[in-house]
Amino acid sequence: MGDASEVKGECSGSGKGKKMFEEEENEDKLLAGVGYKVCSSDMVDVAHKLDQLEMVMEEDGISHLASNTVHYDPTDLYGWVQNILNNAPNHPITTNSNNAIIPSPLTPVPENDLTAIPLPYIEAYPQTENQNCHKRFKSSSSPLWPAISSDNVLPVVLVEEAGVYLVHALMACAEAIQLGNASLASSLVKHAGTLAVSQGGSMGKVASFFAQALARRIYGFYPYETLDSSYSDMLHTHFYESSPYLKFAHFTANHAILEAFATADTVHVIDFGLKQGLQWPAFMQALAVRPGGPPAFRLSGIGPPRLDDPDSDSLSQVGLKLAELARKIRIQFEFRGFVCNSLADLDPSVLDIREGEFVAVNSIFELHRLLARPVDIEKVLATVKRIKPEIVTVVEQEANHNGPVFLERFTEALYYYSSLFDSMEGSVAAPNEQALVMAEMYLGRQICNVVACEGEERVERHETLGQWRARLGLGGLEPVRMGSNAFRQARMLLGLYAEGGEGYRVEENNGCLLLGWHTRPLVASSAWRLAPNGLHPVRDQNEMNQDSRYCYVKE
Amino acid sequence: MVQEQHRGEREKRPKFFINDNVDILREILKRLDGSSLGVAACVCRLWCSLTRNDDSLWEHLCFRHVSSASVRAVVVALGGYKRLYMVCVRPVLSRLGESERVRKRVWTRHEVQLSLSLFCIDSYERLGSGRIASDASASSLMFLCNTINV
Repeated sequence: MGDASEVKGECSGSGKGKKMFEEEENEDKLLAGVGYKVCSSDMVDVAHKLDQLEMVMEEDGISHLASNTVHYDPTDLYGWVQNILNNAPNHPITTNSNNAIIPSPLTPVPENDLTAIPLPYIEAYPQTENQNCHKRFKSSSSPLWPAISSDNVLPVVLVEEAGVYLVHALMACAEAIQLGNASLASSLVKHAGTLAVSQGGSMGKVASFFAQALARRIYGFYPYETLDSSYSDMLHTHFYESSPYLKFAHFTANHAILEAFATADTVHVIDFGLKQGLQWPAFMQALAVRPGGPPAFRLSGIGPPRLDDPDSDSLSQVGLKLAELARKIRIQFEFRGFVCNSLADLDPSVLDIREGEFVAVNSIFELHRLLARPVDIEKVLATVKRIKPEIVTVVEQEANHNGPVFLERFTEALYYYSSLFDSMEGSVAAPNEQALVMAEMYLGRQICNVVACEGEERVERHETLGQWRARLGLGGLEPVRMGSNAFRQARMLLGLYAEGGEGYRVEENNGCLLLGWHTRPLVASSAWRLAPNGLHPVRDQNEMNQDSRYCYVKE
Repeated sequence: MVQEQHRGEREKRPKFFINDNVDILREILKRLDGSSLGVAACVCRLWCSLTRNDDSLWEHLCFRHVSSASVRAVVVALGGYKRLYMVCVRPVLSRLGESERVRKRVWTRHEVQLSLSLFCIDSYERLGSGRIASDASASSLMFLCNTINV
């Protein structure tokens, strides 16, 4: 009783007084026709509250309606619904899948918080053009609550698949950025972020990263690009542990090097990105069990300088670790570390290449960073030619994230990383939750770079296998077929991760190996050598222009 | 009378305890599969110490038909066959072999290589973190220990 009178007071008190006067002017004509007085500007709130009411009724039943509380004046829809909600017994605080606490409707919401949407905004946003505000947000799992905040002005919309709407929101935001409409983009990104948080699952995670990256782009807050730091190392290591992509890269590259090198006393490998040196233990083990005894192994590891701790020598530490392993399995091992900001700064003369060595160059996810400046990639290819390696192994992401048009890049990246996150969620690989989260953050940084950065800061300039083929071909390299042994071993490795053969796919494409998730190839591994006459003519003109998927040759 | 004769014969025959002939015991244990070897370890102290300390028992289990001196040297250096079996061979076998293959079957060269590579990576990862006995630190191979979500 007391509650009702309070509400009544609210209705007729000063707070609403102004509104009562306005109501006569902008009350909704349609609803007035059936006897309800609702201000047009309140429509959104009413819809929202009706949703809440329905949720409450689903959970608690309508028992509270049978209580003695009298709800006055149902024609005033706004106040009436608010009143019922306030009287709903013990409505629990709901949490979404990311454990953010969303305030329950019991907490009195000040009038100023929920402001109505100005009409032009809705019209500009194509998605809600033909839909009214009064729709309900449905998802396949439990009823989800969008976060209630002063910024959340867009009402929930009815869709069969919440994920589709989420993708649409992200795409609309990217389109707005492409067209230069900053205000629209800014509203959309907030909306997308809200949806992403309530989505959950791998879709929600990807969407959150993309929404964050879009926000950074809009507000011009570019993240510092740490070339290297112990944090980056940790993220990288967790990504190595949680997914097969790096292992696939390492195993196939090692295989290519081992197959190419027949008999030599020394193997000299130049690793363009040493990181933690996780590729080389397996390589050394393969050398150790070679019939006829192991050759000597020289490793030249290249890495970026440490920004957080310039005095620490992380390359040497990795070298020491590898040396200890080599000592255990009785391999003659020599290590040299080279620190440089960019591969283009590398001078081949410092590598000290000796006579009679079998030289291999290994680049795992490193070459695409050079594409920010075309002169860099040319310089590196020239360096490679001066080194005169017997084999060059290249592993790169199989995606085109280097197009000149932002929107296309964004779309490509969205689908690529969605597949990637999907695969990590779906496979058994994650040793524990924390490792998976770290691995996802590793990818999240890449996403941020692809979407938010431009110019020289954007280093994640992935290109497809076809594009790399053309580039390396022009640079004077010709492809070497990866043998069927590599294929079989890769398939076996992936068999350890897969759930009964589903999920990861290893495919062969013109001598290169592709690792993908279901039908989408994600990582391409290839091997190269110096073309005999310098320039290798591009065999197929189509290869240069083709960015789309190939038809794959299955073994 | 016949019974007495038998008893006499029995007394004349030397009693044979397998535990007195450790070399024969070893030969027998070598041919067991993994779970049987584990069971054997529970029989008595001698058997337990044999299975724990004698690595050659596990070697036969790991690479039954594919073994060479160089492989042995590597495996021993990296931690021994028992560890190889526990950490790599058993999970790999169970992941790859359950569907079509028989239990005791010939390893292919690729499976040998794969297991050895994974084992080597595992040893490498342990180098930096100090000799921690538990498996928690060697995370790179944890994916082998997880059950597959069906």
